[in-house]
Amino acid sequence: MKFWLALFALLMGCSSVKENKTLSSNIHIDVEELKLDNGLTALIVSNPKLPIFSLQLFYKVGGKNEVPGITGASHFLEHMMFKGAKKYGSNTMDFIIEGSGGSTNAYTTNDQTVYYENLPSTELEKIIDIESDRMENLLLDLEAFNKEREVVLEERKMRYENSPRGQLYLEMMQTLYKGTPYGRSVIGDIPDLKSVTREQIYKYFKRFYAPNNATLVLVGDIDVYKAKAMIQEKFGKIPSSPSVEEAHKELKDEDFVPKWKVDQTVAKKGESPNPIFMLAFPTYKAGHIKGYALDVLSSIIGSGKSASLVNQYILIEKPIATSMYSAHQSLDKSGFFFIGGELVRGVKLPEFRQDLLKNLNGFCDSEVSERSIQKVKNNYLTGLYGGLDTNAGLGSFLGERQIVFNDWRFYKQELDMYEKVTVNDVKALCKETFVKPSVFVSVWNMHK
Amino acid sequence: MKNILSISLLLLLSTAAFGATFLDSVKRMKWGNLDVVWIEDSKFPRFNAAIYFQDGSLSDPFSGLTSGTFDQIASGTSKESQREISEFFDFYGVNLKNSVTHEYSVYTVQGLTKDIGPVMSKVCELFNDAQYPQKELFSYISRSKSQLKNLVTSHSSLADRIFRQISLIETPYAIPVEGTLATFDKLNPNGLKERLSELNHSKKVLYLTGPSEIFKLKEIIANKCKWTTGSVSEKLVLKKPSPQSAIFLVPVQGANQAQIRIGRYVIPDEIKGKYDHFSFLAGFLGGGFTSKLVQELRVKRGLTYSAGAYVSMQRDYGRAGIMTFSKNESAAEVISLVRDIFQDISAKKITPEEFKHQQGHQIGGFAFGFEETNAFLSQIMLYDHQGRNLQELVNFPDNIASLTPEALSQTNLEAFPWDRMTIVVVGDKSLEKSLSRIRPVRILKYKDYL
Repeated sequence: MKFWLALFALLMGCSSVKENKTLSSNIHIDVEELKLDNGLTALIVSNPKLPIFSLQLFYKVGGKNEVPGITGASHFLEHMMFKGAKKYGSNTMDFIIEGSGGSTNAYTTNDQTVYYENLPSTELEKIIDIESDRMENLLLDLEAFNKEREVVLEERKMRYENSPRGQLYLEMMQTLYKGTPYGRSVIGDIPDLKSVTREQIYKYFKRFYAPNNATLVLVGDIDVYKAKAMIQEKFGKIPSSPSVEEAHKELKDEDFVPKWKVDQTVAKKGESPNPIFMLAFPTYKAGHIKGYALDVLSSIIGSGKSASLVNQYILIEKPIATSMYSAHQSLDKSGFFFIGGELVRGVKLPEFRQDLLKNLNGFCDSEVSERSIQKVKNNYLTGLYGGLDTNAGLGSFLGERQIVFNDWRFYKQELDMYEKVTVNDVKALCKETFVKPSVFVSVWNMHK
Repeated sequence: MKNILSISLLLLLSTAAFGATFLDSVKRMKWGNLDVVWIEDSKFPRFNAAIYFQDGSLSDPFSGLTSGTFDQIASGTSKESQREISEFFDFYGVNLKNSVTHEYSVYTVQGLTKDIGPVMSKVCELFNDAQYPQKELFSYISRSKSQLKNLVTSHSSLADRIFRQISLIETPYAIPVEGTLATFDKLNPNGLKERLSELNHSKKVLYLTGPSEIFKLKEIIANKCKWTTGSVSEKLVLKKPSPQSAIFLVPVQGANQAQIRIGRYVIPDEIKGKYDHFSFLAGFLGGGFTSKLVQELRVKRGLTYSAGAYVSMQRDYGRAGIMTFSKNESAAEVISLVRDIFQDISAKKITPEEFKHQQGHQIGGFAFGFEETNAFLSQIMLYDHQGRNLQELVNFPDNIASLTPEALSQTNLEAFPWDRMTIVVVGDKSLEKSLSRIRPVRILKYKDYL
């Protein structure tokens, strides 16, 4: 037990929490930072609690960087990155990682692609070698490429064609961001997935997957000095590419924001016996000061059993909905506030939409108070603790901020901004947002 | 190969050490007649209190009673309304969860340590004074029925629900824990209050993680919860599953993929003393990208996006199975391949490389089970429920290291005898023809299982 108390004390030294201060002074994280000449950023946090660590490699490339004809390229590459590189050949990476007790996966969003591994600490050098090998020398074997095309098509069916909720989200994004890079499907349009060639994907890979477009995060039982030397040795030799920003220099920020000026309503037929819906309003890109008040607003009206939408539509004698939620989604170049839910059969969608819009505007005065804002802050703190509990959670927290804001320390500003959010701020943003033109999408088996 | 072996040996030495150390951190206490298990965790100023009741849905006179009792426990007391109670817990950032299984139930409270007094006092009030007001209950029933009718939007969840009812049909474990369209209307305030009273008097254990301030709970539990703890519940003895002769096809409109479930229930005598063998088998078959099923179905043939295997136990029963999905036109091929994989493993067609690989995977991955204190605590809770000694947990790496390919073959033969495997497919009706080449097909209506 003494052994563990000592380890806990060590851990407290590097990632500690003290109460009764501001949110940002509550969290202190000791991060060792490394910047290579080729532009790679590496963040390292030592946590010797257990002989394990997490590696996350963030690439600043996702669905918004694709062009018509190769939609889904970032996600397709997410699959192909596990299929072999020059040193670690066909179908060997997974075997090395899992054979040592580790696990690995990746995910792709509109703005980024993230590859991650959780491994025993004995495997640090090996995994840095693997990640650098596939960044520099991905094979993209043609036979594996064509086989994986089938897997990606099955994944798309699972997530969208066979899932009314997936259809709803896709339709909402395509309507909200019609004509912008955010209006494309991250997993890819079916014709593109069927026709995209190995050469097109290879060109895309060579263009974007370079050290200057990436952030490497290591958290866990790591010798920081040795880790830095390994990163320098393995990644230092990889040439940089023109930045992601340069690739899209003809696109201005306004090219990423919604272009329509009047309410959009879409009724899509899908295999859902109960109607499901999403209502979305355009807002601000990640880091915009107004975004923090919108985050607070989304929690007030849509999080927890005491949320406004829950009290209005669910916890009533004759429920109108079986679930309701809201969120504020910040993207790299845009943002949107959305409300969604599942309605009971018999509810008329046009009337429900009108009623919801009326109530949202009413919430601006009736639901925003000192107490409701404090409630959100309390919940934010418990959520934050939960998110930082594991090596992977802490790595994700730091990497996200580095890749989006170019500074992992940005979390302190974010916490300060949450701290400073006032009743007037939230009320003002509430009134500003809910009078904007909106997108209302529903999926139901009764739609034609 | 040599490399994998040396890594395994290295990991074995280190895992044995920290496994034992973690076991030392588990403190068992008595607070009055209540058993308490505590793992100190001071990383953040928060606590987790999981109240284990050795009483689950097997006690229900109709499906969904215990689930309803926990789901609606915060719907009103004699002093406060549902809205006031929700507002209280949400204000403190408290997360309340309940999990009902057939054999036991768990009510979990997570919050900030500084708020432990008011929060747990309120939880005790719920257990002593929940009134289950009719108006709130009516709303709950209406929502539950509506959600269940919409289950068809998730073919995977629908397949899981029907597979349980078909594969466990000879046992009381077939009844859905969460209720059915036919039983929700039987819920009423008096029935729920009676069920809560039974739970308050059933055998229970309090599992805690958090800093030492958590000891404030002792007085609160004694004075405000006033729980008594009953005796150990009687064991249920099941016979082995019967041979299966059909594939159950559940057509759903518009399905362009087939959800496939293959498996059976397991009785404790089959697994006693061999938990680690079965765990190893599940990992070998479906644990990760390098598992047998994923390699054969996804990597070599591109037939599916995911495939998994499990062998899970409660105290008196368990389940062993495979879950995957495919294109409609590939469903029969996938099922035949799974059958062939079972036969190959049982026939000892296992290469030394793949066997050693899985040993490295499970031994090396052992440490991750201790990373989150709450996850470790849940593991202890399950061991306690099963009546297993925690020393078995520490011995896991050694047991895996001493396994042989022959033992794996034998375990597979015992866990997955093809003639006793229930097969359920949720997909398009046109699958009937191709599936009938494997076994006779019985068509089921999904609405009969809601």
